[in-house]
Amino acid sequence: MRVEYRGMALIVPETDSEWHGYFDAARGGRLVVRRCGGCGLLRYPPGVGCPWCRSLEWTWQPVSGRGTIHSYEIVVQAIQPGFRDWAPYPVVVVELDEQRGRPAPDDGLRLVTNLVTADWAPEREESVAIGARVEVCFQPLAADFALPQFRLSGEPPGGPLWRFPG
Amino acid sequence: MSPADIHAASRMRDRYAIVGVGETAYSRASGRSTRALGVEAVRAAILDAGLDPGDIDGMLSYHSNDSTPSPAIAADLGLRLNTYADVIGGGSSTEGLITYATGLIEVGLCRGVVVFRAMNGYSEVRIGGTGARAATPVRGLELADRPYGMLSAGQRFAPAFMRHMYEYGTTSAQVAHVKVAHSKHAASNPKALLKTPVTIEEVLASRWVVKPLHLLDCCLETDNATALVVTSAARARDGRHRPVYVMAAAGRVNKARPDFLYQGRLTTVAGAHARDLVFGAAGIGPEDVDLTGAYDAFTFTAMLQLEEYGFCPKGQGGAYVASGAIELGGRRPNNTSGGHLCEGYTHGMSMVIENVRQLRGLADDYCPGAAEGIHTHDHRPGRCRQVKDARIAMNMGWATPATGSALILRR
Repeated sequence: MRVEYRGMALIVPETDSEWHGYFDAARGGRLVVRRCGGCGLLRYPPGVGCPWCRSLEWTWQPVSGRGTIHSYEIVVQAIQPGFRDWAPYPVVVVELDEQRGRPAPDDGLRLVTNLVTADWAPEREESVAIGARVEVCFQPLAADFALPQFRLSGEPPGGPLWRFPG
Repeated sequence: MSPADIHAASRMRDRYAIVGVGETAYSRASGRSTRALGVEAVRAAILDAGLDPGDIDGMLSYHSNDSTPSPAIAADLGLRLNTYADVIGGGSSTEGLITYATGLIEVGLCRGVVVFRAMNGYSEVRIGGTGARAATPVRGLELADRPYGMLSAGQRFAPAFMRHMYEYGTTSAQVAHVKVAHSKHAASNPKALLKTPVTIEEVLASRWVVKPLHLLDCCLETDNATALVVTSAARARDGRHRPVYVMAAAGRVNKARPDFLYQGRLTTVAGAHARDLVFGAAGIGPEDVDLTGAYDAFTFTAMLQLEEYGFCPKGQGGAYVASGAIELGGRRPNNTSGGHLCEGYTHGMSMVIENVRQLRGLADDYCPGAAEGIHTHDHRPGRCRQVKDARIAMNMGWATPATGSALILRR
């Protein structure tokens, strides 16, 4: 798979043993992570072995795509030329509902994406907050390539929201 | 680390010394190759050491972007190397390479080892990620974040900084004190690129780069080369200056995973794993350290390291850096040459070089007797940079929140 997106060449050959299956699923509108065949823990980004039990056995595990913003940034000065027209844009660290607080209390299953609106624009800074509830969506970049993103889900947050005060 | 590991490390205490330091000018246009820069800095460090060049038989460098490999530098200086290594992996490399240098000498492979860094970090390849870095294809590890417009160091670290503000209430105004302090220090450093002190208000009014980072929260990009010479304590006695002894060193220490945004606590940095090793091996605690060099790729990184190594309770790094403690004249000055925020960007080399000069009593400031080690200790900007009675210095290096390093030096 290969696609030009915002001035970048995103390249995922069939020999990319970590990412090819992930983007295969994304093309079909599914968010998957690796489930360890030894201990059952889920991991992302997709790695070869389990960082907890060291097993090399794994399967792709679909996840709900629901989560909470764990942290974020607002890129104001775009470094990559292809993002200049998009700035300011949020980059979010999303903690999925699955495996919160496991294996250790501070752990969680996390992804990094942008926070986007229904028409694939960057979500407004005022709407980005730690604690906000989000859901996965799949941005079509080409006929055979979709990029997982997150958008606000509209669910009530589980606790207080926190926004950067400046 | 077990007590047995720490005991083993403590056997290296004071067996090695940094005997020579050197650097080129810090500029935005060196007008020369990194090869020429590297040769100048390494030559200066060997001359500063006062050793016979034939006693230099090892060379280590942090080799990133446009750097020149060690063997070319060595050949240009007529040095034959028993070993060399040009590593990748970020700003913790300085303390890491010093650690490796002591090991190379300990096993008898080398008598004297040069550590250097050469970069045209402004005129050629910028860490900020513009130009060459932004044009490369995205594959493998980078698919997790580059497609989302996360590329530069600031963009990769900012969520960790944001999380510290959320968890502990750290404020932009608090960390701005790091830039203010280093700018005052740089005003007393003839070598510094930026010599004008700035105020908190100026830091907070500077334009946003990636929130929570203002422009003035971010380090410089410069062209320069830096070098230092490591040798045994015994050989160091023949050197030109009083030796600066390595009490303990731990290089490129890591959290459980390098992809730090995806596991554990974003506010815990690699120093949590290096701390007990280096203090245990050195046989001291944070309260014994007179001055520090905490890697200031950003204001936040200096704060996070000082906190993680125990110079204040975890979570209180903001209050600590805002307290005056890190300024010349304060309890424990930090980055007394101005650091990466104000002097020049060296991946941590300049901070070790500065602490060596400080421990020698030879800070190169504006005191009329500076070359002879005569200092006024008037720390107003534009005057004296020498810390009075500096005995023990500590450097804390940073590659990412997940990879760091530490070095404890004494006179």
